[in-house]
Formats: sequence, structure tokens, C-alpha cells
Amino acid sequence: MTPTSTGNFTRALTFFAIGTVVGLALGILLHSLTSGGFDAATYFTDIPSWMLGFLLGTLGFFYGLLGYFGVVRGLVFQVIGTLAGIFLVSAIRAAMGLPFFDGRNFGFHEGAWVFGALVGAVAFLAGVGALTDWWKWALGEETHDHHEDIPGWRKYFGVSLDHKVIGIQYTITSLLLLSVGGLFALIFRTELAQSGLDIISLNFYNTLMSLHGIVMIVSILVGIAGVINYLVPLLIGASDMAFPRLNAFSFWVAVPAAVILLASLGLGGFDTGWTGYAPLATRAPIGIQMFYLGVWVAGWSSILGALNLVATVLRMRAKGMTAFRMPILVWASLATSIISLTATQLIGLSFQMSMFERLFGMPFFNVAKGGNPILFQHLFWFYSHPAVYVFVLPGLGVISELLPVFARKPLFGYKWVALSSIGIALVGFLVWAHHMFTSGMNEYLRVPFMYSTLLVAVPTGVKFFSWVATLWKGKIETPTPMLFVLGGIVVFLLGGLTGPPNATVSTDLHLHDTYFIVGHFHDTMFGGYIFPFFAAIYYWFPKATGKRLNETLGKWHFWLMTPSFIILTLYMMRVGLLGMRRRIADYDPMLGFDFSHLIMTIAAFGIALSVLVMFYNMYKTLKSGELATGNIWNSRSPEWQVPSPMPAHNYEKPFEVVGEPYDYGLPGSTYVKM
Amino acid sequence: MTQHTKHHSGSLFQGLVIFVLLAFLTAVEFFIAITNASVLLISIAALLKIGLVVYYYMHVYKLLEDDDEHDHHSYAWKLATNRLGLWLFLLSDAFVFGGMFVARFNLLGFTRPHLNQELGLIVTSALLVSSFFMNRGETQMAQGDRKGFLISTSITFVLGLAFLLGVVFVEWPEAIHEGLTVDGSAAGGIFFLMTGMHAFHVLTGLIFLLIILRNGLRGLYSAEKHWAVEAAAVYWHFVDVVWIFYYPALYLIGKAL
Repeated sequence: MTPTSTGNFTRALTFFAIGTVVGLALGILLHSLTSGGFDAATYFTDIPSWMLGFLLGTLGFFYGLLGYFGVVRGLVFQVIGTLAGIFLVSAIRAAMGLPFFDGRNFGFHEGAWVFGALVGAVAFLAGVGALTDWWKWALGEETHDHHEDIPGWRKYFGVSLDHKVIGIQYTITSLLLLSVGGLFALIFRTELAQSGLDIISLNFYNTLMSLHGIVMIVSILVGIAGVINYLVPLLIGASDMAFPRLNAFSFWVAVPAAVILLASLGLGGFDTGWTGYAPLATRAPIGIQMFYLGVWVAGWSSILGALNLVATVLRMRAKGMTAFRMPILVWASLATSIISLTATQLIGLSFQMSMFERLFGMPFFNVAKGGNPILFQHLFWFYSHPAVYVFVLPGLGVISELLPVFARKPLFGYKWVALSSIGIALVGFLVWAHHMFTSGMNEYLRVPFMYSTLLVAVPTGVKFFSWVATLWKGKIETPTPMLFVLGGIVVFLLGGLTGPPNATVSTDLHLHDTYFIVGHFHDTMFGGYIFPFFAAIYYWFPKATGKRLNETLGKWHFWLMTPSFIILTLYMMRVGLLGMRRRIADYDPMLGFDFSHLIMTIAAFGIALSVLVMFYNMYKTLKSGELATGNIWNSRSPEWQVPSPMPAHNYEKPFEVVGEPYDYGLPGSTYVKM
Repeated sequence: MTQHTKHHSGSLFQGLVIFVLLAFLTAVEFFIAITNASVLLISIAALLKIGLVVYYYMHVYKLLEDDDEHDHHSYAWKLATNRLGLWLFLLSDAFVFGGMFVARFNLLGFTRPHLNQELGLIVTSALLVSSFFMNRGETQMAQGDRKGFLISTSITFVLGLAFLLGVVFVEWPEAIHEGLTVDGSAAGGIFFLMTGMHAFHVLTGLIFLLIILRNGLRGLYSAEKHWAVEAAAVYWHFVDVVWIFYYPALYLIGKAL
């Protein structure tokens, strides 16, 4: 389907008419079947049939008008696929003598909703075109090795096989989800500004709090995938990822996943937190199923993206790039991907088991029937703890990558830093039960998990030592990316130092359910991901667009966000130590936390404002920004040795690695020969 | 080069010897289970079987073969990269099955559901024999014997289908009849989860087999270029490896409830 100047609107109206008629006919058919007879009197007065007709008509309208955008096709297909899945399960239920409709569960049986959402996700992938080439392969047809994108901005809205386009698609999606997750936080943060339940209900608070968690997690996973996808092939001198179609699939599967996650808002939400623990989850509203399924689908994005990255790094490095000449970001991406590839399956399994417990009554976590709720937590945390290393390792890699550039000095202890990422990833597999010190698991597990958790401080300490030693006596420059790197180091240090009290059993028993954990966690996430992610955006934005982000606005962003954020988390930890419990919608005014919460709320709005400054900066720069096509940071890395924006097929000729990557300031040293 | 490939893909005779060993070890497992039921000995037999399948049927060593090919558009480079990708996927998938395996012991300890032993042995044998024919089919394709490949793969398909139908339409109803229901106990839940997830993988494997049969009939594969056949074979053996774990875990290890 192609855009035309006049035909689009006609096509849209035609599709609207077709959609309405089909929807109406389907609705009346369903009505006749479920009410046990064809009734001519209610033929044209049946409101649900008209609503279905109007829904399909509207979808048809958008399909006709904007169907040449892959993402619009995908979303239209997703809605239709969801409806088809729901109707199919409901029809099977009706054939088994069960009711077609289910008034308690938003119209349909829970199984119908879950199956519908799953079919919808597959339909999205078919609609957007992420499955086309594989379908051809299965039929034994050839596909083109060289894939040419449509020029201009339209290529970002459909399937592209270019890792740079996919990297940008990931990053934009991540920023969108970051805004949604941040908005949820602002709403419940406003609720918390003073004691008493003022603006939202308990269930809505719980839903927003839970969704804030999971939307941010998906945003981070998508964000690191953006950074990795865009940069790793450039850093290792590859023309693309090892499996370009799988790469496109990995991105596009995250989109319906996000839609399903957010759909939980419309299906009663869920009041379990992002952890979704059984047995609470088995009694939650039906929205919990959308949460489980959304995470399950998003997991495939993570798993397949990681698979692709490992294969790319192992198979496609430039000549001369031995293991210990790989950039630190590549090491970090590899470490992250080892976790994503394997451990992600376990959160998928735990959520699948909980879904099945609700759908089929399989009593995995029901003590009365021989189940074990602690089992859920073990399976869940086996991924969800290492997941935090998935989130921070690429960020810490960005810090190590940029520090030598702006300190004009070699990275201190390169080999140790390279191996520390792998070290964190491997130790990270052995620490999950420190989330369960208060859960009632076997007591003999506590001490070993305490020590393994404290062990993580060793490779992390290696990184800090390297950063400080790299800065020592350096000629430090502080443009915006470097500010975010330095801010990231400080904030991550705050998060790191507040970790051991939570890892130590005796203190964790007191801290576990308090805001102290919330403060610690946000420090690690901002220091390990948000700050380095913003640093990466400011640093590589010129590489992707050929334009440099405005420095003044960048500094406004940094100097607004950093103090706001530090105040926010310090106050979180303060009220936590004084006994403020986490996850709750309200607190007793007699505790005297009202003022602290007000400060936190104001600080949270400060962070939100600073991110808006960045968005404005991006808009303004793209529209009328300063051109920057050369090596503006004076970097040794290969991607800066070619003009910006990066050419479509990366390097014209493969480069060769002839020296060490971070020998800044050493006379006569070279890293790559172009 | 052809000699080289032949050597690495194994021979028809080798496949037969490995199958005899696998069948023997399965009989040993069953014998141990009905006599002294030693968990250690059953585990050793299962691990030996897995080692044989992973090395001789799935050719895991091909991952380590020297590869001097730097042209990223050549078939040799793509073949080696695809192999790596497939094994990474299997590694990831193994974590799902590993998670269910651990969950089974967490929930049931060293007890096991009461199941029909003869039926268990029959479906297990069907899957094992199917792995033999899958290996035979792949080897025949590597030797350029297209007709042999089609026959062996068809037999694999029939045996796989027999396994799937046996589990879903014979074993499941019988278990339910014996009181092991989906929602009655955690033992029932984990039994149906493990066998169900495995059956789902068998189903996807069967679809994969249908694809290579169809494309094989149309002559799209040659002795030199048959990555899809190799991939389907390795995947099929992987599904067998999972069952080599699951069969003792569900049928043999522990005290019957």
C-alpha cells in the first residue's frame, strides 16, 4: 500500500463503510446465536452490534488512511486479532454449553481475553510485516540480502532491517514508555504529597504503582536494546547485526507487548505490584493477566535481541579486534545479553504458571493443594534480580566508554573493567534469594545468599576504582554528556553504598518493606541506567542525526534533574529509615511524613520538567540545530572517524584494529586503521 | 571438502550404534527404577544418554569447528552463524525446561505421580526411535540421498505424531481417570505443565518437519546446502533431550504417590 495525494481519503471512507457493515453483521450474528434465535425486531436497534460495527469501521478508516505505515497496519491487525481470538474462545465455550458472554469479566471469559491478547500480538507482527520473510523462507522462496529503506522519516514507522534504524526505533519507543511510566509516577506521587486519600482510589493507586514499575522496566529493556543495537555493530565494525530479520522481530514484538501491558488499565488493573506474587495474584482483577502476558511477550524481545547480540559479537568483529581490544560497551552488552538470553525464560515461566493457575486451576502456588507460593518467588527472582544487572551493565559500559574521551587519558585497568562486567553477570545468577529474606523461605538459604550478594560489590568496586583512577589528573572537559557521566557515577555510588544494608540479613529484616529500598533502588536505576542513557543520547545524537544537541538546554536538563533526583531519593531513604512502608497509598499523618512527601513530590516534578527540557532540545535541534558532521568529541572510536550521520551501510571498507581502544593522550598510538 | 563434511556429519552406521546404546541405557533406567530405584544410577544413565544425543546426533562440536570464512555473504559463514544462533536459542529454551524440572522437585520432592509405566516406556521409545530416523535422514541428505532423506524424515514425523497423540489422547485421559487431574493437586498441575510444554515443542518440531519434507520434495536441498534440514534435526533432537530428562523425572525417580 502506498500513499497517494488524493486516494487515501477515498480509500479510508471505503474501508470505514466495509468495516461498519462487517462489524454490524457480525454483531447481529453473534446476538442471534447467543439469544437463541434470529429476531428481526431488534435487527437494527442492537447497540453492541453498532458499537462493534463502529469499532471495525474506525479501524478500517485508519487502515485506509495510514495503512502504508507498518505500525498502523500492525495496530489495526492487533485489535482485529484480539477480537478474533476472543470470539473464537467464546464460541468454543458456547459450543461446550457455557455462556458466550461473561458479565463479570468485562464481557468475556478470562481465557477469551488472554487468548485474544496473544492472537492480537501475533496479528500485530503479521500486520507490520515482521514475519513476511520467514514465511517466504518456509515456502522455500529467496529473499533479498540487501534491504533498501524508504528515504526520510517514514522508514522509522515500519519494518526496517538496518540496525541503526532499529536502534532509533527502540530508543524512541523507550522514551515514549519512559514518559508513560513517569506520568504514572507523577500521578501517585501527587496522591502521596499529603496524607489522606485525595485524588485516586486504592485500586487505581495500586495499579499505577504496579504499572509504573513494569512500564519503566520495559522502557529500560527497550532503551538498552536501542543503545546496543545502534552502537555495537558500529563499534565492532560490522555492517549489521548477525540476524537482521530477527533484530526487526525483536523490536516489533515489544510494541504489542507494551499495548497489552497498558490494556491492563482497562481491564480492572492489578493490585499486586510489578512482582505479581501468588497467591495475591490469583485473586487480582483480570488486568493481572494482561500484565503477565505483556511481560511474557516483551520477554521474547529481550531474549531474541540478546541472542542476536551474542552471535554478532562472536562472529562479526573487525580484523584485529581480539577479545581484549573490544570496547568496554561491547563487553558490557555481551554480559547483559548472557543474562537476558537465559534468565528471562524463568520470569516467563513463573508468570506462565501463575496465568495457568488462574486459567486452568493448576494449583502450583496453592498450599491447600500441595503447591508452594515460595516457588513463584524463586522462579521470579531468578530473572528479576539479574535483570537489574541487565539494566545497569550497558549504562556502566557507557560511563567507561565516555570517561577516557573527556578525561583525555587511557581507561585505567581496561582488562579488569572488561572482566568485571562478566563477573557481575555471573555472580548475579547466584544472588536472587536476597529478595526473599522476609518471605519465609528456608532459613539456611539466608546466609549464603547474603554473602553472594555482598560479593557483587567486588566487580562493581573494580569499576569505581577504574573510573576514579581514570579521572585522576585528567584534563577533564565537561560538555553535557560528561556531566551526565559524572552525575551517573555519583548517583550510582549512592545506590551502591545503600545496597549492603539490604543485603545483610539482620538489617534487611527491618529495611525490607520500607521506602529505604525504594530510594536505594531508584539510585541504582538512575545511576546505572538513566544518567548514562541520557549521556549516550547527548553523545551519539550527532552521530545519528548530524546535528548537535543544544549545550545550554543540555546543562539546564542536567542541573535541574540531578539535585531534584538526589533530594527525592535521600528523602525516600530518610522516611524509610523512620518507618514509612513502601507500596502503600496512604500514611498516618501522625507519623509526621507529610512535609517529606511534599518535598519528594516537588522533586519528582522537577525531574519530569528536566526531561521535558530534553525533549524540547531534541525537537529544536532537529528543526534548526547546529550541524556537527565531524569528530566533535575528538574520539578514537571508529564510528567517529567517518562523517555523521552514519552512512546507510556503515563503513565503506572494513577497518582494522591495530592498537588499544582507550589510549587517549598517548602520543603516536592508534586504535583503528580505516 | 566433501570428505571433510561426511566425516563430521557422522555415518549411517554410527547413528545405528548410538541408537542401540540409547535403547540399552533406556532399558537400564527402567530396570533400575523397578528394582532398587537409585536416583543416582538413573541420573547417570540419563546423563549418558544426553551426552550421546548432544554429541553424536546434534553434532555440538560443529560449533567449535575452525572457520576462516570472513565474507559475511558466503554460505559457509552464514551456516556457521546460523548454527551458533540455533544453539543459543536451545540454551535459552533449556532454561524454561530446567525451571519446570526444578519446580517439579520443589513441589513433589522424591515422590512422583502414579502413572502407567508401560505407556510411558512406549511413548519414550517412540521418541527415541524417531531421533534415530531423524539422524538417519540428515545423514542421508548430507550424502546426497534425497529419497532416503524423505523416507527417514517421514518415519520421524509419524513416530513424533504417535508420541504427541499418545501423550495427549492416551496418557492424559488415563492420568485423569486415575485421579491425577489438572486442578486437583500440585502434582497434577506440574505433570500437565511439563508434558504439555514438551508436547507443544513436539508440535512445533512436527511443523518444522513438514516444512523440510515439503521443500525436500521440491528438491530445494542438496548435499552441500541443507541448513534447514540440519536445523530441524538439531531441534528435534533437542526436544528428545528434554524428554530424556523428563521421562525419569516424571515416571522413574521417587516413590509413587
